[in-house]
Amino acid sequence: MEEEETYLELYLNQCAAQDGLAPPRSPLFSPVVPYDMYILNASNPETAFNSNPEVKETCGGFSSVDLSFLPDELTQEDKNQPVIGSKHETEENSESQSRLPSPSDIGLGSNSPSLSNPHSQQHPSDTDSVQASPEKPDSNSLPLASITPMTPVTSVSECCGIVPQLQNIVSTVNLACKLDLKKIALHAKNAEYNPKRFAAVIMRIREPRTTALIFSSGKMVCTGARSEEQSRLAARKYARVVQKLGFPARFLDFKIQNMVGSCDVKFPIRLEGLVLTHQQFSSYEPELFPGLIYRMVKPRIVLLIFVSGKVVLTGAKERSEICEAFENIYPILKGFKKA
Amino acid sequence: MPGRGRCPDCGSTELVEDSHYSQSQLVCSDCGCVVTEGVLTTTFSDEGNLREVTYSRSTGENEQVSRSQQRGLRRVRDLCRVLQLPPTFEDTAVAYYQQAYRHAGIRAARLQKKEVLVGCCVLITCRQHNWPLTMGAICTLLYADLDVFSSTYMQIVKLLGLDVPSLCLAELVKTYCSSFKLFQASPSVPAKYVEDKEKMLSRTLQLVELASETWLVTGRHPLPVITAATFLAWQSLQPAYRLSCSLARFCKLANVDLPYPASSRLQELLAVLLRMAEHLAWLRVLRLDKRSVVKHIGDLLQHRHSLVRSAFRDGAAEVETLEKEPPGQGQGQGEGEVGNNSLGLLQGKRPASPALLLPPCMLKPPKRTCPPPQVSTVTGDEDISDSEIEQYLRTPQEVRDFQRAQAARQAAMSVANPP
Repeated sequence: MEEEETYLELYLNQCAAQDGLAPPRSPLFSPVVPYDMYILNASNPETAFNSNPEVKETCGGFSSVDLSFLPDELTQEDKNQPVIGSKHETEENSESQSRLPSPSDIGLGSNSPSLSNPHSQQHPSDTDSVQASPEKPDSNSLPLASITPMTPVTSVSECCGIVPQLQNIVSTVNLACKLDLKKIALHAKNAEYNPKRFAAVIMRIREPRTTALIFSSGKMVCTGARSEEQSRLAARKYARVVQKLGFPARFLDFKIQNMVGSCDVKFPIRLEGLVLTHQQFSSYEPELFPGLIYRMVKPRIVLLIFVSGKVVLTGAKERSEICEAFENIYPILKGFKKA
Repeated sequence: MPGRGRCPDCGSTELVEDSHYSQSQLVCSDCGCVVTEGVLTTTFSDEGNLREVTYSRSTGENEQVSRSQQRGLRRVRDLCRVLQLPPTFEDTAVAYYQQAYRHAGIRAARLQKKEVLVGCCVLITCRQHNWPLTMGAICTLLYADLDVFSSTYMQIVKLLGLDVPSLCLAELVKTYCSSFKLFQASPSVPAKYVEDKEKMLSRTLQLVELASETWLVTGRHPLPVITAATFLAWQSLQPAYRLSCSLARFCKLANVDLPYPASSRLQELLAVLLRMAEHLAWLRVLRLDKRSVVKHIGDLLQHRHSLVRSAFRDGAAEVETLEKEPPGQGQGQGEGEVGNNSLGLLQGKRPASPALLLPPCMLKPPKRTCPPPQVSTVTGDEDISDSEIEQYLRTPQEVRDFQRAQAARQAAMSVANPP
């Protein structure tokens, strides 16, 4: 035990020296502890795996430890991902390339933070290794992340295969040149410009069906797309239109600002009960709005929950946040299924 | 009156004792300014009420408080008095207002918003003490828009980080029902329409409980449900004379506003009662309809717990099992209802199989079928053809035509509005 600890310390010092190379990839990663590290050693491992490219080399040193229990995916990695990251890191990556997380994703299961506690089934081996590890100093998400199940099946059966559909993406891009809005409104068929009402040109294209607000500073907001790629394509088309009108438009800093998704859990929900048990997150005022407004802390998403079981999720910057938020809320909603 | 002092605003000695609600006040008969409120005043309360107090006796209390905040605090106290709230509520509401005022966003807000903030503080205080005050009532008192009230309310709850409990339905029923003017005979209320308050209250409460158990209250404004329940309770206590009275007429003679959704809540409640009646042996044979079921509301309420259990199967579980089976009819949620209807028609004398216990929005067929989401294979980096972009641009000829049309329109407009 002593040797493993000092070895880890050495390694950590190395990492600390190269730290600041890449910021933590997303809030999803940092607090979730890769559970395999419990088996390997007893120290705080979460600081170690901050998407540091050096991990790949140093992990070779752990070959002395038996890693055969880990599933095969971990052994073949993406080039740009640390090797012994938590499994969800790999899944995150593949997710961003292929649209939807595959049903066999264990990573999604291990992502479940404090809120989805009740359903996690604990394997004896897990709890043993958990108890062997020392106490976590801080946040309440960590101890519960440590009891997340190792097998993939749990997370899938929880959600019954319901995946939130994206309904709207809002993105911004900088065209990096001053624009003459009057000229744009004159030469473009699909533009409307009413300076007394709003100081931007409202332009629409048919494919993908989106609307853009183009400001004279050269900044543009693109709304209405149903996926990130569609939003990017649409923004490029608007930039091309502006280019064709004679402006030296470029395509800088494309960023997705907001994503809205919706889904249906297909059972009625007792909103009055939900607001009682989750008072610190929920706001339910039937006199003002028929739905319950649930402000999830991690990930930072706002959910509108209706009595018919329909859920609207908004405020996400990435698709994974919406999926994660839905996975967090689904067990809570199931708890309110029966009257 | 001599010896009572002078008015600080105009200096007149003509001070008259007047009362405003329950407060006795000294009012100047010349300029109308209120000199003192209440018989007992102290320098402290005088200063708090924006009365001028001589410097040597002032407590310095209001030095740090801005005039607009003082005005707001006064409004809070006035509102509490108008609503006849217990005295402790006033202090809590004032504390909330002061707390809100510490935030820069509130200090810089418009007067309209500050006015609405007064209502918000009072509402939060009432909610925390389970005092049934609706937002509609406050908006009427403050002549405020519900939208403005709603945004200010949500903002202040978030800003102050408060836990505001939900509106207490039982208390609201008691207060609202008591406001119906049906407990004494009067020229507008015939003798047969007069009802005992306690009986009506208890029956209304039972009906509201039934409504909330059968998903009629969740997500809806609470007041129309209570109106419908009160009406049914009143009708059922003496159905012989009261069945002929409509909901609108009932509200008119009770001197209460009829909220718009109340009639649809009434229909929903009657539908629930009819379903329950199917499972009561001696009512089943009567083949009740929406009017005749009112006579038996007493019986239905007496056995409501067991009736709800037998008349309604768990809608949630039902929808799930229906979906897991291979859909014979190919529909999602409509299956349960369709199945139920056909069964109800087939079985004559026997009770219909239990209906789904679901909120009405889930029982109605969807207005439009959602198209299945198309899986798009867009990568975002595709080539954009020139022709596609050109379809959005005007040709030079079109530009000239457009400019000409615009100029003509401008000319026409300037002719229409001669300088």
